[in-house]
Amino acid sequence: MSCYHLSRLLFDLKMNESCYQRALADFEELIGDYELTDIEKDALRSGDPRKLRQLGVHGMLCLYIKRLNPAFRNNIYWAQK
Amino acid sequence: MPLVSAMAASHAPNILLEPGAEWEDFMDLHYSMAPQGSGSRPTLEQQKKLRRDAEAAFTALRTDLEEAKPDVLIVVANDQFVNFFWNNIPTFFVTLADEVHGQFTRHNFHYRNHKELGWEIVRAGMERGIDFSFGEHIELQHTQNVPLYFLLPEPKIPILPIYVNTWVDPAPTPKRCYQVGELIREVAVKSPDRVAILATGGLSHFPGSPRIGEIDTRFDHKLLEVMRQGQGPSLADYSVDELLKAGDTEFLNWMVVVGTVGNAKATYTCYMPDFVATGWGFVSWRLC
Repeated sequence: MSCYHLSRLLFDLKMNESCYQRALADFEELIGDYELTDIEKDALRSGDPRKLRQLGVHGMLCLYIKRLNPAFRNNIYWAQK
Repeated sequence: MPLVSAMAASHAPNILLEPGAEWEDFMDLHYSMAPQGSGSRPTLEQQKKLRRDAEAAFTALRTDLEEAKPDVLIVVANDQFVNFFWNNIPTFFVTLADEVHGQFTRHNFHYRNHKELGWEIVRAGMERGIDFSFGEHIELQHTQNVPLYFLLPEPKIPILPIYVNTWVDPAPTPKRCYQVGELIREVAVKSPDRVAILATGGLSHFPGSPRIGEIDTRFDHKLLEVMRQGQGPSLADYSVDELLKAGDTEFLNWMVVVGTVGNAKATYTCYMPDFVATGWGFVSWRLC
């Protein structure tokens, strides 16, 4: 099964600052804009990159869910691409 | 005229991150994908030594590059979901922009792009049955910025970024990458400019994978030995699956450079596993 839209959301979190800010402000509203299954939404809500990977998301994109985790929000990794 | 310099170097972000807090951030994030990988977490002193050793390796490459007096530096690297997504993944992409920019933490990168050479490569490819994708805008990322920080810190000459799909299945074969290198060598010979080429990436690592932390140093040493012996063409016999198994798919970038040098012996090699995720490798071929 393709996880194009799930991957797209994570790509947008990486590359689009306004998407990232929207995610911080209202995550549920943001994910409502993407064509996601309930399983995909739950994986996103978990904040666990390993669960996203199990759904077929590329590992390089899985990491970007961590941008929303307060413990990782200021990680130096986001200051480079 | 013939290529004047060929090089290959790793582009792991932690090469350019500062030992200490920045490395710790980097490791915290990656080990969240693979907690078992944290067993070999390097100490601050080890991090500093790795940085010093990498700088020494880059200095060796930069000395060769500057002595070759190039007019342009082709940079063969892979994207990692910065310029390309699943709406369009090019197997080989040539940059035809006027300028290229990028950022890595507090470091900014800005180079002229040698689009004329890019056009020549695209046109020559069409004649030879290698149909490159091309485009007029890209953003430089760590796959270019990390080695460029050390090798071309001042934008004295233009660069030409060329992308190879090493990060999404299906990737091109090592043989095809070698053929792209042969094509670039032919274009360089006809060019009035002194052309240098750099491949980035690798060596063994498993980015974003549960296998983060594994480094197939044995396979990496074998690759380097083959290049030292001038047996580069034999590397085209590897399958993508063999490279994948060893965590060496970014070696496909290197295969393009191997195709440009053919049987020339690597004149400098250096290798160091970083104990985090990646076998850092550095190679130079002095060609003039």
